[in-house]
Amino acid sequence: MAVLQMQRISICALKKDRKSILETLQRRGVVEISDLALQDSVFEKADTSAVRSQFEKDLSAVNQALEVLDAYSPVKSSLLSSLEGRGPLTADEYAAFGERADDVLAQALRLNALSKKISENRAEILKLETQLDALVPWLGLDVPLRFTGTRSTAAFIGSFPEDLSLDEVYSRIAGQAPDATVNVDLVSHSQDQTCVFIVAPRAEAAAVDEALRAIGFTRPASPPAESPAERKKLLEAETARANEAIEAARTEIVSRGGDRPDLKLLADYLRLRAEKYDVIGRLMQSRRAFILSGYVTARNARPLSEELSSKFDVAVELTAPGPDEDVPVVLKNNPFSTPVESVVESYSLPGRHEIDPTTIMSFFYYILFGMMLSDAGYGLVMTIACAVVILKYKNMEPGIGKMVKMFFWCGLSTTFWGFMFGSFFGDAVAVISSTFFHSDLALRPIWFEPVSEPIRLLTFSFLIGIIHLFVGLGLKFYQYAREGKYYDAVCDVVFWYLLVGGGIVYLLTMPMITEMLGIPFQLPPIAATVAAWCALAGLVGIILTGGRDSKNPFARLAQGLYSAYNVTGYLSDILSYSRLLALGLATGVIAQVFNKMGSMAGGGIVGAIMFIVVFLIGHTLNIGINLLGAYVHTNRLQFVEFFGKFYEGGGRAFTPFAAHTKYYKFKEEI
Amino acid sequence: MSSLGIAFALLGAALAALMAGIGSAIGVGMAGEAAAGAVTEDPNRFGKVLILQLLPGTQGIYGLLIAFITLTQIGILGGDPNISLVKGLLYFAACMPMAFVGLWSAIRQARASVASISMICKRPETFGKSMIFPAMVETYAILALLVSILSIFGVGGLSL
Repeated sequence: MAVLQMQRISICALKKDRKSILETLQRRGVVEISDLALQDSVFEKADTSAVRSQFEKDLSAVNQALEVLDAYSPVKSSLLSSLEGRGPLTADEYAAFGERADDVLAQALRLNALSKKISENRAEILKLETQLDALVPWLGLDVPLRFTGTRSTAAFIGSFPEDLSLDEVYSRIAGQAPDATVNVDLVSHSQDQTCVFIVAPRAEAAAVDEALRAIGFTRPASPPAESPAERKKLLEAETARANEAIEAARTEIVSRGGDRPDLKLLADYLRLRAEKYDVIGRLMQSRRAFILSGYVTARNARPLSEELSSKFDVAVELTAPGPDEDVPVVLKNNPFSTPVESVVESYSLPGRHEIDPTTIMSFFYYILFGMMLSDAGYGLVMTIACAVVILKYKNMEPGIGKMVKMFFWCGLSTTFWGFMFGSFFGDAVAVISSTFFHSDLALRPIWFEPVSEPIRLLTFSFLIGIIHLFVGLGLKFYQYAREGKYYDAVCDVVFWYLLVGGGIVYLLTMPMITEMLGIPFQLPPIAATVAAWCALAGLVGIILTGGRDSKNPFARLAQGLYSAYNVTGYLSDILSYSRLLALGLATGVIAQVFNKMGSMAGGGIVGAIMFIVVFLIGHTLNIGINLLGAYVHTNRLQFVEFFGKFYEGGGRAFTPFAAHTKYYKFKEEI
Repeated sequence: MSSLGIAFALLGAALAALMAGIGSAIGVGMAGEAAAGAVTEDPNRFGKVLILQLLPGTQGIYGLLIAFITLTQIGILGGDPNISLVKGLLYFAACMPMAFVGLWSAIRQARASVASISMICKRPETFGKSMIFPAMVETYAILALLVSILSIFGVGGLSL
């Protein structure tokens, strides 16, 4: 349960060792490099942005090549493959790869070129197809479209933009040029065009031309030199050639499927080098030496400095960070609480002077989650599924692994509360035994059944809420005390304990409240007096000290009154825990709905099949929707109600200089 | 007259399922449009935006829940469907919080969800926080659910 102690590390070494030292640091991945704001005539920073942008360009080429491979020779990956984690890579393999990197990059570029060829040829085929389409109406013609006639005749090849019969063409020409002698052949006609071949004596060519133009005759645009049939053959041959080219490129891409591991390795290699050059750009360098500064966790500091000193000529200096430094944060917890770290991270890491709330939060997290889902069947499904994943995929990425472990513990808690409240897939046991076996066997709750005694669970939810909030306040007290601010601790915590605690106890002495909440015991009247005085003392304390930051006495009083108004906040915070009841009931009752629907077909074979189908679909749906609900609302209770009492966050995550690879993970030789 | 009791009770149950269902349908639809847009830009966001899309869907389930408890209590799903007019009206009233709050809160929650979806598009690391904003709205649906449940169970125990 802690925020790990950080130390500032400064390394001064010779430039000839720069590469090896940086690679060691990168592989260890324990140092966060920070920028040195040193103005010096000897030491200066090198500009590595050009090198870095080259790496990034290569990286995007490699990623593109991988996409090409995925598109043409996809690898089957199951839904669970994301759990398998990255493959191992030794330092020797990595070093050996450095020599092949350029060849692999050439392979990547070749893949991209092939993919480009395919898309070019595809565009070409489209173009050819358009030309073919335009040629189709002319296929009946056995002379080229460019044909203009013989010595004694003039030929007109073209089309009218409407559907005309042979007679209509004749009559229209006659209407414009009554004296012309023409012969019209209809090549083809469709709804919106009529293609014709017209022959006239050379002497009348001009007149016919004019007549044709007047009635909307147009010649085809850029007619080819060959006859339509020949032209078609040519176009088809070209299409076939383009298709062959595509096929050849595709075959080559598929045959290069074996390059995938190399390409992935190259992607990682480029990522590592880009990150290394980013760090080089942040070092202070002179002609022979360089200085590096950063943060390292205290427990890694000693081994690292020993390793560096034994391998290289370096000066390593470890110092405690100053009080105002923006030190990055790493959390470290026991295995039971670690999974919840990701929840804390998704809110905010602890800021300066704040404690790590993970451990305390984890207990409440599992309890609250379990109460909201509260079904032993669902809990067992979750627990077993998570346990199988944890055992089967040992190499999971840490982020996913934490999530799975968190749901494992949540599942256990859900199972526990499920048995407490007698819910196993809703009332499945009772429904099955009465529908199919005609017995009245049912799972009895260990504690009580929420559906029949909702108020009892409501009271219990409020109790959990009060404990949760008071623990939150307690942590605030601890935080103040750790810094020695005892006065603030009394003002902001003890007075609130008195006011809220006293108020609650006073309410419990009123018969109306105890009857409503079904509390079996009655507090003696003296408790009421004591509680009332406590609450009053707390209230007065808050009014007097709530505005202690302001100098003006009137403003101070007004602010004190305002902070006392915050007591309504406590009321709504406590009432907010009623969602434990509501969501718990929702799970149970919806499960009952599905069981009832399943049992509607009665006993027997048909009934059993119907029951199994409804059971599977219904409960899968219910698990999904209520798991989401429980997750979201547990987070809400932690973030809003619990963290609201003491936690602000604002810490910066520790982002060490490390091998941030995507496909392979370094295996440390021991 | 006594036959009117069951009519009012059923009307209440139907309205709870109906209005909360409409609200959730509108809400999940709105959030779904935004989610589809977010996934178009980056398919890796699917898991996160799906959760945000589903958040306004719970009201419909709460409505179903209330409708179902009412149906069981008034004996429509087996039992004795003979309840007095007063009791029928009480059941009707008990269903109303879920019906109305379900309808409105689902739509309002969907708007918060849509905003949260655009938030995680710009800043993917804020997923934990983005979930809280819609969840705040849901509080009131849960409170309404609670009042409706407690009322229905309470009315069941009355001898009117």
